Amino acid sequence: MKNQDLVDYLRSCGVCEVCQLRYLKARGSEYKDIKETLRRLDIKVNENEENVGDIVFPEEQPTKKARLSTCSTCLGLFSEEFQRELLQGILTSDFAKYDCQKIVLAISLPMVLQLRQLAMWFALQKRFGASVDGTNPPDVPIKEAVKLILHPIICEKLAKEYDANGLMINIDVTHSLEAGEVEKLVGLNREAFPAKAAHQKRIEISRGLLEKQYQPAKVKAEIFEKYYQIPCAGVEEPLKLVSIDLQGPLVCVAGRYRKLSRELSHTPWILNGQRLMEDSIEEIIIRNVGPHFAEKLEKINFMSSGREDVDVRCLGKGRPFVLEIPNAIRSSLTTEQAYKMEQAVDGSGKVSILNLQVVPREELTHIKTGEEQKKKFYRALCALKEPVTVEILQKLQIPESFDIQQKTPIRVLHRRPLHTRPRTIYSVKAKVQRGNPQALVIDIVTQAGTYIKELVHGEFGRTTPSFASIIGQAIDIQALDVVGIDLDWPPEVDNSPSVE
Amino acid sequence: MTTATEDPLESFYFRHEEQIICGQAVSPITDGFDVKYPSVVDRFFTRYYYFKGDVPYQVLYHSNRICLVCLAAGHPALAQGVASVSFDVGNVDRSQNVVKGKAKKGGMILQAESTLALISTEKGETFKVPSCIRGKLVEVNTALVEEPKLLEQLPEGAAYFAILLPKIENCDSIKASLLTQEQYEQRLEAKKVELNT
Repeated sequence: MKNQDLVDYLRSCGVCEVCQLRYLKARGSEYKDIKETLRRLDIKVNENEENVGDIVFPEEQPTKKARLSTCSTCLGLFSEEFQRELLQGILTSDFAKYDCQKIVLAISLPMVLQLRQLAMWFALQKRFGASVDGTNPPDVPIKEAVKLILHPIICEKLAKEYDANGLMINIDVTHSLEAGEVEKLVGLNREAFPAKAAHQKRIEISRGLLEKQYQPAKVKAEIFEKYYQIPCAGVEEPLKLVSIDLQGPLVCVAGRYRKLSRELSHTPWILNGQRLMEDSIEEIIIRNVGPHFAEKLEKINFMSSGREDVDVRCLGKGRPFVLEIPNAIRSSLTTEQAYKMEQAVDGSGKVSILNLQVVPREELTHIKTGEEQKKKFYRALCALKEPVTVEILQKLQIPESFDIQQKTPIRVLHRRPLHTRPRTIYSVKAKVQRGNPQALVIDIVTQAGTYIKELVHGEFGRTTPSFASIIGQAIDIQALDVVGIDLDWPPEVDNSPSVE
Repeated sequence: MTTATEDPLESFYFRHEEQIICGQAVSPITDGFDVKYPSVVDRFFTRYYYFKGDVPYQVLYHSNRICLVCLAAGHPALAQGVASVSFDVGNVDRSQNVVKGKAKKGGMILQAESTLALISTEKGETFKVPSCIRGKLVEVNTALVEEPKLLEQLPEGAAYFAILLPKIENCDSIKASLLTQEQYEQRLEAKKVELNT
């Protein structure tokens, strides 16, 4: 089969030049200058013919007349009119609302395009015989061609970069023939793939089914022809744009938080539909950071590397956290903006955030994996019944690590399984408050997941050893601070304006 | 020599490190110290009592409905001296109890009268410790079997026999079936008066 014969035949069927190239299996950049590519392939370029599917925009060729007919295989998908319509549609959507440099197109095409491709496949087999394979399509599939042709053009016209994680432009396209043709497909499917048994479920007609099952190797031309014309007939009407929906990217904003209040929960604390605390770390951070990135704050997901109890402060360098913001309208954050947010959160007087920055989604794994390996640093205010002795203090200076067995604390046992977990305590260092020999301040380094309060008092012997069992007398905990979390993520950034 | 060096605790004194968060100085952790800080039992549990005949038992009811079954301080076994504790109550060994998952599947279902454990005293008396409440057996304190004297030595709560989880819908009727601290004290008082007359 000579290229010239193929193109001549395609032209006689009303196939546009882009689709001619598709059937010549042109790749990537070869679609940029169609005439040039055709020439290179030794195809006579008929200058008198209408420039079907010529990819040139009207402002560059203002005198060009409107096209007369629609390509029978792509139904005008690759025509300049369609591109213009598409571009217009995108620009009149909420597109301007999104401050994103990167975009991705997701076009949903009607099934009639697949049926027409199949009809052309049969036609080529009829015309050129065995040289046309029955399993591998004779053309560059439309889906792929959309990526090769439409994507670069739309990106260029919008002055955006193509990126799979960018602003997603969902484009729904249909054709006036779609409903009727799909209707016929139900009949064809029953005949071409009869149900093997009565009980077999009726197969749903879908794009995937068409892609997998519908090829000359699996469907006989004679059966296909009962339902559809080979080759497909020309049409006047082009594809119709149904809708354009925009879906902003998922933006991840990380930082570290510190918590000053002993009356602030991590996330909204709701019991039996009633709020127990009026605010939460999650809400304070989202309220101050969210509006920059998204219109709907409810969809923002707050995650952190562990959490502390309501009555525990989190000091030192703070705890790493991430906001996952879907459908973001903005994906960048300047240090000035970040600093303003940090200041605004500070204004709460309860929570403070630092190192605020946009991070790649892949880095979220830092916060969730290896949770058990992380070391946590605590400071506990403990109380003895009697004044402390040097002997007790010495028993609570433990520089080397030791293991404890900890049963699920009673306070969470109603909603968590009962387990006895081994936990490593890396070090213990006790001090005493001057002038108050019953008050101990104990610095503790533990494996993540250790329940500190229970480690101190032993919880009726359910955590062993405990500080109580180590010193052989009762010891209780009155206050706890998290003073460090050993996770070097996110990277430290100083958003504050540099002081001259 | 100054007096400070004579203080054996000198090297152990806590020193607060300054830190500014939210534009304010972080207060030292010692600021919140409270000499009258309530105990773990007082903080999270309510004391209830159950009488089997004239013998009192204590139920520590956690705010999340978990219950610890203990001997009440006035239990005669404590005065007689505890000789042994067994969770093998005849037809079943409570220490073989196994629970799985959040729902504590597989835990033995106990009624208030069900025998939870047996204790024998140094005077040779045997007491059947009742479950005191209707609920699922979650955990058994087997340390008591090895060291029965713990019952006499440990502080309140630590010598629990078992942890039970009642059904949410039964909680109100369970609390109503038990004696509150006040009712318990009244009953003891009434008994004293009765004995004196």
